[in-house]
Amino acid sequence: MPQPSLSTDGLTIRFGGHVAVNQVSCAFHPGETTVIVGPNGAGKTTFFNLISGQLTASAGTVHKGDTDITRLSPSARARLGLGRAFQLTNLFPQLSVLENIRLAVQARAGAGWGLFRPAVALTDLTDRAEKFLHAAQLGAKAHMPAAALPHGDQRKLEVALLMAMEPDIYMFDEPTAGMSLDHAPDVLDLIAAIKSDPSKTVLLVEHKMDVVRALADRIIVLHNGELLADGAPEEVMRSQIVRDVYLGTATEETA
Amino acid sequence: MKDTFGALAIKTTMLVIAALLLFAPFLFQDVRALEVAARICIFIVLVASYDLLIGYTGIVSFAHTMFFGFGAYGTAIALKQMGPGWDAVAFGTGAGVLLSLVVAAAIGLISLRVKAIFFAMITLATASVVLVLASQLSQITGGEDGITYRVPELFKPTTKLLVDENGQVLRWFGVKLNGKLAAYYFVFLTSMVLFFLMLRITASPLGTVLKAIRENEARAEAVGYRVVAYRTFVFCLSAVVASLAGSVYAVWLKYTGPETTLSFSIMIDILLMVVIGGMGTMWGAVVGAVLMVMAQYYLRDLMGAAAEAMAGIPLLPEFLDPDRWLFWLGIIFILLVYFFPKGIVGTLMTKGARR
Repeated sequence: MPQPSLSTDGLTIRFGGHVAVNQVSCAFHPGETTVIVGPNGAGKTTFFNLISGQLTASAGTVHKGDTDITRLSPSARARLGLGRAFQLTNLFPQLSVLENIRLAVQARAGAGWGLFRPAVALTDLTDRAEKFLHAAQLGAKAHMPAAALPHGDQRKLEVALLMAMEPDIYMFDEPTAGMSLDHAPDVLDLIAAIKSDPSKTVLLVEHKMDVVRALADRIIVLHNGELLADGAPEEVMRSQIVRDVYLGTATEETA
Repeated sequence: MKDTFGALAIKTTMLVIAALLLFAPFLFQDVRALEVAARICIFIVLVASYDLLIGYTGIVSFAHTMFFGFGAYGTAIALKQMGPGWDAVAFGTGAGVLLSLVVAAAIGLISLRVKAIFFAMITLATASVVLVLASQLSQITGGEDGITYRVPELFKPTTKLLVDENGQVLRWFGVKLNGKLAAYYFVFLTSMVLFFLMLRITASPLGTVLKAIRENEARAEAVGYRVVAYRTFVFCLSAVVASLAGSVYAVWLKYTGPETTLSFSIMIDILLMVVIGGMGTMWGAVVGAVLMVMAQYYLRDLMGAAAEAMAGIPLLPEFLDPDRWLFWLGIIFILLVYFFPKGIVGTLMTKGARR
């Protein structure tokens, strides 16, 4: 096995008496797409928040490569190449679609401190922003405020923001949530394109089984904050314990 | 993109205001009008620098007049102690900027991590302390009376910029080319340079980051921007600009006291100007400053004239008595907020965009 690009060791977070993520140790590798599944409240999004830095662990560590990032701020993690898209659309609502994407491009280029040249005159940044704009099929809506987009396009913009960060590790939290059936494939195509690059690590929280089947190289199952299963998709989907979780029988045993 | 009606109206207004301010000494040949024009120039800079904070980045501070005061007092004290030379102006301005920078950085690093309301309270507390200090340390600051001082030779009304063959001061279009004129253009030019500098910054990549922080702080952080660093930087930047505006004002007025620079009534004026003009627009600072300063100087005159015209009609002259000018200013403000919820410039821009 090559060196993992991202790993957690005994990762735990407590909110008062409630343990939302409990002793999760897991390693992720370049070229691998891992889908995280589990019932509502299993701690999937909390697990993501611990990795990308929105929450800080009560115990355990997160490493990106050899670097311990457990205590770093979200922006420091982002600058190290850890990119995250959010489950609830999380954009810059009054800024235009192009400005939204350009913000991510310019963060990646370290150009945020540019003071005197007009942003629109930095054509290399704008060109790169437009590349991601067209990849997300939002070209016609470049100058609309993000808040004015229909929900499906906001989801696409959410993914485009993550792509424009050009991270090593992509984290998608239910990228197709609330999208109509005719729009979801656009987003899945974007993810498939990232997946085809062997240097990128992809983490994906997803409920829809067809999406899981289409994209997963590996599935991990979280339940009540604990890592319940980890393995190849067919293997995990066949296992009795996972069926029990989804049918609800395991809940009584562990609760 | 083609200009909309609203954007066109704003552009025209800006050109008209710029032209009026540029030719103010020639167009309005009385002392009070020039006083108003200079005050407008300085408040445009002061309000625009506050707009960088509240409108672009979403930081609420009540310490803006404090930084304005640092600049004004720095220059005033230097001119008083060192005599009316350019070295005193430079030293005092530099000291004001340095003090503003240090205080702003300290407040920023200590408290920009906390919630907005706590930050606002901390700025309020700091500004109150400085106001009390300014009135207590009377041997340096002149206390409540303030400081009167002389300014460099060039800006004295008796200075002749150009003379005719008889040694009399030359007149252009009836305006004496004297030190007063030089002082006005000093105010006008520095204000314009500072304003366009800020305008440039709002259009830069940094300006986009500031707006992103206002719109969605958590996402700005997640994309990779150090939000606290950017906030501290913009707080320092606006403090420095306010301080410079204060220094210019001190040179223009030849007097600096708590009422002209530090008082909370000026802080409230700045807030009103930003809101009337439109937050996060920069041009709103121009509109807000022009309207407010004009109202402060001329509303009473206008009402006096109106009250006289209505003489004989029962009750109306009472309402229009010049002493009630604040009441009418309040009504005008309420109407403006009602009809222009995003400020005059902000509302015109969105109106234009919808067409």
